[in-house]
Amino acid sequence: MRVIVPIKQILDPAGFVVHRRMERVFVNVENYIINPNDKNALEEALRLKDAHGAEVVVLSLGEPRVDDALREALAMGADQSFLLTDEAFAEVDAAAAALILGKAIEKIGEYDLILTGQRALDTGASQIGPRLAEYLGLPQVLEVRKVSSLDNGTLRAKRNWEDGYAEVEVSLPALLSIAPQANQPRYPHGARIMNAYREWKVTTWSLADLGLSEEELSPLTRLQREAFPPERTLGEIIVGTPDEAARELALVLREAVDW
Amino acid sequence: MDLQYWELLTGEAAIEEEEEAAYRDIWVVAEVEDGALTPVSLEMVGKARELAAALGAYVHSTLLGEGLEDLAQELIHRGADGVYLADDPRLAEYHLETYTKVLSDLFQEQKPEIILFGATELGQELAPRLAQRLDTGLVSDCLDLSIDETERVLVARHPVYGGEYFHVSTFLGVKPQIATVRPGAFRLPFADEYRYGDVEEIAVDLEGIEGKVKVLSTSAGEARPQVPLSKARVIVAGGRGVGDAEGFALVKELAEVLGGQVAGSRGALDKGWIDKEHLVGLGGVPVKPDLYVACSIRGDVHHYFAMQEAKFVVAIHQDPDAPIFKTADIGIVGDPKEVIPPLLAELRTG
Repeated sequence: MRVIVPIKQILDPAGFVVHRRMERVFVNVENYIINPNDKNALEEALRLKDAHGAEVVVLSLGEPRVDDALREALAMGADQSFLLTDEAFAEVDAAAAALILGKAIEKIGEYDLILTGQRALDTGASQIGPRLAEYLGLPQVLEVRKVSSLDNGTLRAKRNWEDGYAEVEVSLPALLSIAPQANQPRYPHGARIMNAYREWKVTTWSLADLGLSEEELSPLTRLQREAFPPERTLGEIIVGTPDEAARELALVLREAVDW
Repeated sequence: MDLQYWELLTGEAAIEEEEEAAYRDIWVVAEVEDGALTPVSLEMVGKARELAAALGAYVHSTLLGEGLEDLAQELIHRGADGVYLADDPRLAEYHLETYTKVLSDLFQEQKPEIILFGATELGQELAPRLAQRLDTGLVSDCLDLSIDETERVLVARHPVYGGEYFHVSTFLGVKPQIATVRPGAFRLPFADEYRYGDVEEIAVDLEGIEGKVKVLSTSAGEARPQVPLSKARVIVAGGRGVGDAEGFALVKELAEVLGGQVAGSRGALDKGWIDKEHLVGLGGVPVKPDLYVACSIRGDVHHYFAMQEAKFVVAIHQDPDAPIFKTADIGIVGDPKEVIPPLLAELRTG
């Protein structure tokens, strides 16, 4: 059984400050991390490895620095890793990213499951999973909180659904997106981190390796500009005895709630 | 001479425009839950009307399910010019494959200029799949939509890094332009009972569609206490400073009177007044209510990150230097135990 986990490397939000009045993002420390939710997907794959002996393959699209993310995944327990990097991949949007990942997955060959994170923290989007599923012609189950059982090519899972949950059954191969509540990702052992850099390898594929041309990657959407929420103005402080303050607050609240 | 006008003079631009005109109108994919339209469906219709005015276009809505004739009328009352109804017993239950098939058939035939989905479980699942099938772009979880009238393209603002700031994205000449819309981002439009529109039946062709995803059971029938905290519109939260369980009971009472949910900070969790599902802060859920009342919560940075998207914040705290007052719209320096009882009395008499 083979499980493929596409992961994304993002800028660590702990390293930047958003200045609302100046409408700028100041990056103090340029540090990159694996999208936290993608780690939940990887953890779920590793649990399938522990329980069913699945082979876990991670792949990631981006600049050469993404190598670190893949080595971290290897240290956590992944078996194989692929880095998809090319100058032509520099400014891809979701549709092109799904195409590149799709081609890479086809090149990897046989698989039973694809697990993705539910949402990317940096863009807030949750497109890659369903787009990939559509491209590969797979059924999808999104926002999975628990993989309940897996046998004979059928998987049962509990997913978030309409303020509650739904228990669903899907035949493999399939794509699942994993919700953040699903699990607590493991920490890699120190020795495995050393091995990830010294012993194990990351295979690199470029545009040509995937049989793609630049025209196929032309973006469909574009970031026009950044926008910032209004600066929080210093609020009003109601002064007076508790009774007076309560009366004034009641007036404000009634307005706010009736809205 | 500005060469921009050259094309207009030679008529090249006019030809281009005619080709593009094949894609027209705004389509809203309405959602039904428990036999009623979800609020976001109506909010989208309201926003679509505004966009349609800028484009000179019509607003259509799709409705999939069984026995939904009355809901179609409601969509028209709220602003849709027409409703495309797929009334079929096979669509009574949502299935990924059937819904995708019906919608992609419809959109391939009708060629919408813009399609709006709610950023709900259903929308987040269908929209990207359809975008991929129709070979077009999608912007997820939008908080604002507008039309760039010089380029005639949709411009969408959506939060990044959990709402720290926004990206404003636009489409590069691809149609249909698809967006998913955050519930509550737009106002509910007024219902005009006298509005008139067409309801058209869609032919449903589900030949050769096999459901690979089966829904075995849902929690719909179970008694669920409340909407999850992340979707609550009013939240009253208490911290360690309310003192004791009695003090926290006041917080609960205030939540009840305001028709909202009770929550707590890390301190309240440690005291055992709330469970983890109701934690606002590190390890809890991010909340985005219209009204957030913080009682004796100092407001550390994790708490701030979790509630920064709240629209109106009220803080009651004993310490005038508590950081929470920096994020509050209205603050009262005082003990919640003294402020809440007269507040409750005041709200009840009102």
